[in-house]
Amino acid sequence: MDWQGQKLSEQLMQIMLVAFAVAAFLAGYFLSSFQLMLIIYAAGVVLTSLITVPNWPFFNRHPLKWLDPAEAERHPKPVVANSKKKAVKSH
Amino acid sequence: MGWIGETVESIKSLQIRQVLTQAVSLGMIVTSALIIWKALMCFTGSESPVVVVLSGSMEPGFKRGDILFLHMSKDPIRAGEIVVFNVDGREIPIVHRVIKVHERQETGEVDVLTKGDNNFGDDRLLYAHGQLWLQRHHIMGRAVGFLPYVGWVTIIMTEKPIIKYLLIGALGLLVVTSKD
Amino acid sequence: MYPTLHSALPSSNLLHFESSTQRPRLFFPKKMHSFGYRLNALLTFSVTILAIICAFASYSDNLNLPSPSAQIQVLNVNWFQKQPNGDDVVSLTMNISANLESMFTWNTKQVFIFVAAEYETPLNALNQVSLWDGIIPSKEQAKFWIHTTNKYYFTDQGSNLRGKEFNLTLHWHVMPKTGKMFADKIVMSGYHLPEEYR
Repeated sequence: MDWQGQKLSEQLMQIMLVAFAVAAFLAGYFLSSFQLMLIIYAAGVVLTSLITVPNWPFFNRHPLKWLDPAEAERHPKPVVANSKKKAVKSH
Repeated sequence: MGWIGETVESIKSLQIRQVLTQAVSLGMIVTSALIIWKALMCFTGSESPVVVVLSGSMEPGFKRGDILFLHMSKDPIRAGEIVVFNVDGREIPIVHRVIKVHERQETGEVDVLTKGDNNFGDDRLLYAHGQLWLQRHHIMGRAVGFLPYVGWVTIIMTEKPIIKYLLIGALGLLVVTSKD
Repeated sequence: MYPTLHSALPSSNLLHFESSTQRPRLFFPKKMHSFGYRLNALLTFSVTILAIICAFASYSDNLNLPSPSAQIQVLNVNWFQKQPNGDDVVSLTMNISANLESMFTWNTKQVFIFVAAEYETPLNALNQVSLWDGIIPSKEQAKFWIHTTNKYYFTDQGSNLRGKEFNLTLHWHVMPKTGKMFADKIVMSGYHLPEEYR
C-alpha cells in the first residue's frame, strides 16, 4: 500500500462500518427483527474487512517513488556516530 | 522461521529506556482502567457495578456468560426486582429475583426472600444456616441492564486459568517486542 | 518485497520537494500500517459500533408505549390455617387473565410476570407475597388466561390474615435482548380473606 491508499483504506473502513450499522439498525427496527439487524451488520463487517484489510492494487495507485540505485550511490548512507545504536534493519 | 529469529534479535537488542517506557505505558493503561472502574462504582452506588452470570438459575432470561449492570439506590426493595446479594460465608454473589417482602412499620427494615426464576424452590437452601430472610445489608445492587454473551471471556479465564496465563504471556511478549 | 534501505530511499518520507515552486513539506514520519494493524483497527471499531447499535436498540424501547390489561378472580379459598410456628397460611384458586401484547418490541427477549398479594399488618407497613409467576416468551403468548392455585405459599409473618383485605398485583418485568430492563405493575384491589380459619 501507499500513503494515499492507507488513508483511503482507513476512511473506507470507517464509512462502510457506520453505513452498515445505520442500515442494519433501521432495517431491524422497522422490520421488527433484532436478528436481522445483527445479520446485516455482521455481513457488513465481513464485506468491509474483505475490501479494506488486504493489500489490493487499487490501494497502490500512487506508489512510493524509490530512488534508483544510481542516485543512491551519490548520497552515501550517513555514518552512525554512536556505535550502541540499533543496527538498521534490512528485509 | 524468520519471524522467530527476528523476535529473538529484537529481545536481544532491547534497551533499558525502551523497556521502562513500555512499562510506564502499560501502567498508565492499567491505572486508567482502575479509575474507570472506581468511578463506575461511585456512579452506580454499588460495590461491583458489573457482574457476570455464572449459573443457569435465571434462565431463560439470563444465561451463563451474560453481563448485568447493577445500580443501588436508597429506594425500598420491592417484589419482582432482580437483586444481587452476598450470603455470609459465600464469596460468590447470587443474582435472583425477590419474591417476598415484609417491610416493618416505622423502621422500614425489610425481610426479603429470593428465588431464581429457573429454580423450583426459594433460596432458603442457599442462605446461611438458620437464616430465613435477607436484609438490606446483604443486597449489593439491583440489576438494571444487561448485555448478552460478553461475560464468557471472564468465565473462560476463571475456569481454565491456563488461558489467562497464555494471554498475559502473549501480551507481555507483544509489549516487549513491539517497536513503538 | 520492500527495497533495502541502503540501496534506496523512499523520497517522500521526511523532506519532500515535488517541484521547485512548492514549499518543503515537513511532516511527521508516517508509519506504514501492516495487515495486522488494519485488521486490529477494523475489529476494534466494529465492536465499538456494535455496542453503540445495541445502546440505540435499547433506547428505542422507550418509544414503545405499552397498554397492558389484566384481571384476577379469586375463585376459592381452599384452606386457611395457622402453622405450628404461628404464621398464617392460605391456599387460593385464581383465574388470571391478561393481555401484555403491547409490551413486546423487537428488542424484547421475554416478559416475566408474577402475581403478588399486597397487604398491611400492625407489624409490617408492607407485605408482598408472590403467589404465582410465569414467563411469556413471545408476543403470540402474551394474551392468556390461566386457572391455577398459588404456586408459592401465601404466608404471613404472624397471624394477621383473618378477615384481611388485600390487593392483588400483576407485575411484569421486561427482559430485553440487550440493554435496559424495565418493570411495572397493575394493582387490583378489593380482595378479602375469610374471618375464620377453614
